[in-house]
Amino acid sequence: MMQLSHAWLLDENPETRFQAGAGQAYRMTRALLRNPLAVVGLVIIIGLLIVAAFAPVLAPYSPIESNLGARLLAPSAEHWMGTDELGRDILSRIIHGARITLMIVLLVAVISAPIGLLVGTVAGYFGGWVDRILMSLTDIFLSMPRLILALAFVAALGPGIENAVIAIAITAWPVYARIARAETLTFRNAEFISAIQMQGASHTRVIVRHIMPLCLSSTIVRVTLDMAGIILTAAGLGFLGLGAQPPLPEWGAMISSGRAYILDQWWVATMPGFAIVTVSLGFCLFGDGLRDVLDPHNRTR
Amino acid sequence: MSLLTIDNLRISFPTEQGLTEVVKGISFELGRERLGIVGESGSGKSMTGRAILRLIGKPGTVTADRMEFDGIDLAGLSERRMRALRGARISMVMQDPKFSLNPVMRIGDQIGEVLSFHRKMNAAARRKRVMEVLEAVRITDAERVYKLYPHEVSGGMGQRIMIAMMVILEPDLMIADEPTSALDVSVQAQVLDIMDDLVNRTGMGLIIISHDLNMVARYCDRILVMFNGEIVETCAAKDLADAQHPYTQGLLASMPTIDERRTRLPVLDRTLLGGD
Amino acid sequence: MSDGHDCQCLIERFWGVIDMIDLKHLSIAYGDTSVVRDVSLHVPEGGSFGLVGESGSGKSTILKAIAGQITNWTGRIRLGEHDLQQGRDPALIRLCQMVFQDPFGSLHPRKTVDTILSEPLTIHGIRDQNNRVLDTLDAVGLARKFRFRLPHQLSGGQRQRVAIARALMLDPPVMLLDEPTSALDVSVQAEVLNLLKALREQRGLTYFLVTHDLPVVSFLCDNLGILRHGELVELATIDQLKQQQFSSEYGQELLSKSY
Repeated sequence: MMQLSHAWLLDENPETRFQAGAGQAYRMTRALLRNPLAVVGLVIIIGLLIVAAFAPVLAPYSPIESNLGARLLAPSAEHWMGTDELGRDILSRIIHGARITLMIVLLVAVISAPIGLLVGTVAGYFGGWVDRILMSLTDIFLSMPRLILALAFVAALGPGIENAVIAIAITAWPVYARIARAETLTFRNAEFISAIQMQGASHTRVIVRHIMPLCLSSTIVRVTLDMAGIILTAAGLGFLGLGAQPPLPEWGAMISSGRAYILDQWWVATMPGFAIVTVSLGFCLFGDGLRDVLDPHNRTR
Repeated sequence: MSLLTIDNLRISFPTEQGLTEVVKGISFELGRERLGIVGESGSGKSMTGRAILRLIGKPGTVTADRMEFDGIDLAGLSERRMRALRGARISMVMQDPKFSLNPVMRIGDQIGEVLSFHRKMNAAARRKRVMEVLEAVRITDAERVYKLYPHEVSGGMGQRIMIAMMVILEPDLMIADEPTSALDVSVQAQVLDIMDDLVNRTGMGLIIISHDLNMVARYCDRILVMFNGEIVETCAAKDLADAQHPYTQGLLASMPTIDERRTRLPVLDRTLLGGD
Repeated sequence: MSDGHDCQCLIERFWGVIDMIDLKHLSIAYGDTSVVRDVSLHVPEGGSFGLVGESGSGKSTILKAIAGQITNWTGRIRLGEHDLQQGRDPALIRLCQMVFQDPFGSLHPRKTVDTILSEPLTIHGIRDQNNRVLDTLDAVGLARKFRFRLPHQLSGGQRQRVAIARALMLDPPVMLLDEPTSALDVSVQAEVLNLLKALREQRGLTYFLVTHDLPVVSFLCDNLGILRHGELVELATIDQLKQQQFSSEYGQELLSKSY
């Protein structure tokens, strides 16, 4: 049977494809874990995932039931983060809000990254007028400010998380397209591409199996680093009332409604703010660590 | 008196497998002569060149019993005083002018910068000196080249400009690390002739680090052959064919010749040499 | 015109000598600049031809034209019995493969040796991949333990062996060699040169080698051509090289520049 032992994974002469792949993944993980800041980021992200997964279990109170008798209570033993203007426990709202944040971030990543990767690699690979058309398209979307576009969407389709996600995704993919294109251009004329073309590989095969894998690392890193920005944008939209609608405990919306009480009951707006900052920081730190591990320029080969 | 004395130089780097020694205690002396240090990749020859100029930073560690240049102890020198030596008394020509010249500065300015760093001169005197040195490396239209950027000149000219930069202060020792590897064959000879000429005229010491045994034999007085961090052979260039050490003999034998008659080239057996 | 070709083929077959590579009046220009001018040469089946020239002579350009990477050429390029079309010519794939100069750049950094070697088989639906990969590894002298390594876990010489193995996977009769040993250490060059020589003898391959290194030509080739500024200055036999008797002045000049 397979022993996934340390020695087996680091074997210089792997005997199967699986062993080679597993070994690579293992090496990268070890390198990543050697970076203390990356570990901090990873811990925060795992924390977010756990909180989101087990929200109903972890939250002490309901996030949406109001209790007008307990309005605007300061942080205490019963309410660790205090209560908001409708008497709802802020901690519970933040815990449930983690689900919303996670959902937004993952949806945006899953929609925008593949589109950007595809557009960028195709543009970089074919060059010529294909490149020009695709890049003009990219530029058009790049020039759109996220919030304005979101406003336009909301005006057209009505407010809500789904439309917020679409609005953010539409403005996020151009960046990945640019990155993927830049990466593609660096090895577009490399000999290993010429070699596989000479062996009869179709354009599709070259792009999907040869070029995309090389662009993947920088795209993943960029997506991870962007997550902070996406969270902030979603929060911004929520703040403007364009994202999640009440009573959903979306962090940005919470800050917005807490604005009015910022002087005397600072916790209502600040606690969700801490949550946003912490999660953003987590993604940034992890993304940096990931880049150090995945970036081919850092490899001394 | 010898220009450069190196005694028991050791260079090591930390790796995943622990501390690895890339140069394992080499010793040699250099007078006002041309010395060739030859080796393949991993032999430690480039590291040696950099160690002389104290260009090996952390995490590498350099130790030596003696590292003396013209009576000055190189190992004990402060970084500030080492900087004063670099370029002025010991200089280094590197492999690829594409990477060693500053792409955003005009050529004349770059060469002049070396001057202004070490000497006090007014702009006119500096310009004149730069022109002189450009002509010394046989660049005929020095006026025009002065104003160009590095990407506007060919590889061979770029390398000559590099040499110009490195001789403008008339150093006592020039170290050339693979000076012609990035150049076309036709230009290689030209660049080497220029270096040869300068060495003859100024009497400076020259160390050429290269993998090209034949080139070194042609342009140097003495040869050191390095393998796996150690010096395995020292001989006069003209005696290269009578090399004693099996590695050198193996290298010489494995190179094809123009009048090649063998059906198979002999291959170096590394196990005999105790290498990896 | 095609009758003439058929005639030529018959004559060649009669004498048992078929030209595997035949370039006639090959010219390549980029805009106004002429890079290759009216080059004609031929290489018999099983022969080995060295195209020698300095940088900028156009030798790499000719190689790329034969390989199908450059498409704006005029004249005729014939491999075996097939006249090359301009643009992507599908027949090229089974006719010739190339070994590139830089062992670092010619292998995809994220693919194992196994993937690199089996991909051409997959593309063309060739079965029995496992055995073919193993046989080719043996043929190029690479131990089977290297099969699942990545390029960065291999030395320069090993990488070049993988590159040669890759070129052999589709059994092409013609091998294009672009300075195959220039980027290798001296001690490794000999191994790779020996390998190339042995492979040609074993498989009856036709070699078209491009290099600036005359001693390598002397070891590997039967005939050579000297290219200068896009023009073929001399076509010579290998004996002429070994005796250092070229008829052209430029040829003699090149000899003197070699150590």
